[in-house]
Amino acid sequence: MMAHIRPVSAVWVGIICLVFSSRLSTMKAASICPNDQTGCHLLPLANLFDRVIQHSARMHGISDDLHSEFELYFLPSKNQIGRVSRNCHTSTILTPNGKENAQRIAREELAEIILKLLVAWRDPLWHFHQSMSQHDEFTNFSSNKSLEMSDMVHELRKGVLKVVEKMQMLGIISNSVGDTGSPEALLTSDSAEWRFMKDYDLLYCFRRDSNKIQNYLKILKCRIVPKHGC
Amino acid sequence: MRGDLGLVMLWMLSAAKECDGTSPPGKPALVGCRSPEKETFTCWWKPGSDGGLPTTHRLYYEKEKEEGIHECPDYHSAGNNSCFFGKNYTSIWVEYSLRVVAFNALGNASSDTLDIDVMKVLKSDAPEAVTVLVDENLNTPCLNISWKRPSKVDVTKGWVSLTYELRVKVQTGLDWMMFTEVAQNSLRMYNIEPGVTYEVQVRCSLDHSSWSDWSKATFVEVPGYFRNQRLVWTLVFVFSLIPFLAAICILILKRKLVKQWILPPIPGPKIKGLDAQLFKSGRSEDVANALIANQNFPPTSVCMDQTEEYLLVSESNDWLLTDPYRSQRKKKSLLTPSDLNLDPEIQREVSTPGHSDREKSKSSEDEKDDFTPTSRCQSKENMSNTEPLLLPPPEKHQNSSVNVVNEDAALLQTTCENVVQAVAGYVDIQQGENTQEVGVEQWAYSQVKEVDETILLIKSHNLPVSSASQPREGSVAESVPTDYSRVKEVKGDNMVILHKDLHKSLCKKKEALDTEWTNQNTKMPHSSDCSKGMCLEMIGDGYVDSVPRFSTE
Repeated sequence: MMAHIRPVSAVWVGIICLVFSSRLSTMKAASICPNDQTGCHLLPLANLFDRVIQHSARMHGISDDLHSEFELYFLPSKNQIGRVSRNCHTSTILTPNGKENAQRIAREELAEIILKLLVAWRDPLWHFHQSMSQHDEFTNFSSNKSLEMSDMVHELRKGVLKVVEKMQMLGIISNSVGDTGSPEALLTSDSAEWRFMKDYDLLYCFRRDSNKIQNYLKILKCRIVPKHGC
Repeated sequence: MRGDLGLVMLWMLSAAKECDGTSPPGKPALVGCRSPEKETFTCWWKPGSDGGLPTTHRLYYEKEKEEGIHECPDYHSAGNNSCFFGKNYTSIWVEYSLRVVAFNALGNASSDTLDIDVMKVLKSDAPEAVTVLVDENLNTPCLNISWKRPSKVDVTKGWVSLTYELRVKVQTGLDWMMFTEVAQNSLRMYNIEPGVTYEVQVRCSLDHSSWSDWSKATFVEVPGYFRNQRLVWTLVFVFSLIPFLAAICILILKRKLVKQWILPPIPGPKIKGLDAQLFKSGRSEDVANALIANQNFPPTSVCMDQTEEYLLVSESNDWLLTDPYRSQRKKKSLLTPSDLNLDPEIQREVSTPGHSDREKSKSSEDEKDDFTPTSRCQSKENMSNTEPLLLPPPEKHQNSSVNVVNEDAALLQTTCENVVQAVAGYVDIQQGENTQEVGVEQWAYSQVKEVDETILLIKSHNLPVSSASQPREGSVAESVPTDYSRVKEVKGDNMVILHKDLHKSLCKKKEALDTEWTNQNTKMPHSSDCSKGMCLEMIGDGYVDSVPRFSTE
């Protein structure tokens, strides 16, 4: 009796695992919309958008906090900075600066802009974090935030890529939006510029760009899935 | 010399100009800018002194990464000393560098540069149409606060997001209740007090930038008590009233039962085999039959004269002179108010002299002690409690008082001479056949031979049973209870003369005899015990002491 228990239990466990895996796979394949109603198939896309937008909002919040802290610590005099010196390395990317402009450009273009921005900030933020952790005057709190910021750019980019994939799968946008070029290409063109940026300017630029990303994502969502909370 | 003169002239000219009071304008100052919906923005400045001359102000701006200095497109839409930038001129995420220059005839003055980004100067108008209602439809009353977004803001395209903040306070209070991070256009506030006026204000922020001004205060008065509370209480009242009314109805409908329960009726006499209805119907024969249905009377000889069936008791002395047997013929019902007529059967049951012993004999020693009316009555009472009065089981020797029957029997026997001797006038507790075993010597009764209204004759020498009767007799004469008639004189062996006044119930009126009998009964100290039912007393003197009464309800 006891000798038989072990193989029997193993068999049972195996059966249960098979059942669960099959269920999981069927769940993946199963559509949320059984009847394929109009707009119902877009629900997962809307949910994806919501998650991505939340992510970008959090990223912008952190950048805003860090920028405020920098202002407290360093208090750069406004006279010195002026508008000339503040030259963000992402200024080469043409971004719509108003509601109408954002409404006017194509969805694919908007998605590409978002992705470009996200790619452009990946390395600078990483280096920023490195430099911050080396300086003693920054608190651990700030150092953690810069790390979080750098990670979030990575995650957000992946999320936006997933959204773009989904849209392309649903046929909403064309397949022209790819994994926007190679990040290395972007880096080489901009590599010199951002290294010379002061930390404060870098933070200022990133704060602005994260706000842009958040807004563009919202506009994109309301253009593609307008019925889900716009 | 000429140079000095020239300088002096120049100085005088300038002094002359100043003496006119005009001067170039003072330096204006840019106050600030504001964008209410993230699509346009307005900037204001404060002019400096105008120098006494008409002064104009101009605003110039530069945009980040755009070459060229531009002038304000609209000086009028936003009022004086303002510059309104329309949608076409507004760029978000672009730094503007602004300055204002004041011009007059004498010169100009430029303000300091102001750098702004539209995203930094977002400030919306206050929310509109704030309405507050007291909502009583739910189980818990609440304040239903709703408002509209500022009309300029467009939230449909996802360009701008609005976040609201509310504050509520009691009008007379000081502390505000804050509700933050409200994304919807309505709010329900619970825990409101009745009879209080609340003040509500709402404000909003664009994209989490600076807050707008608070909206105008909206007041709402909460009614003193809530409708549903009132409803609940009225329902409770009504539902609690229903059983109360039902109880009252039941009480009224069943008032008889209630009356019975609250004031239980005094149980009527229960004579086994006897029906109260029988008495109501008034047929004496049936009553008598029922009364003595289960009695085991010793057989008695039929009396010759059935008319002679009454026992006459009297206190007057007049009767003494008459033939003691003469009044046998008198038919007076002394016995019961209910006109009890004796049956021949009853007469038959009257015992022969042979049976007289039994009849005379007492069941037990207690009988002797029970001669006193009280004890007798109590015994009777006990008997009545335990069993029908008339029907003691034969094995029971005590407390059986078959009083009426005995009386009747005694009455009958007065007519029969031999019987009279034996049992005439005896009020006895019928014991049954086996009474002989009881101590006969305790017998203290005297025979009553004949009773007239004036006298009660007692035959004492014919008492075969008791030996102690004679001495007893004397004692009886001496120590008669107060409710008995006292023996006045014993005449001879067979005659006793009684006092008149002792027992009022022995009062002589024939008409009043019934009542007297009852009175006699009532006057007995123990009569209260016997108030209901049969309470026949056995008196040592042979008096019929009590009258069976049948209480009818």
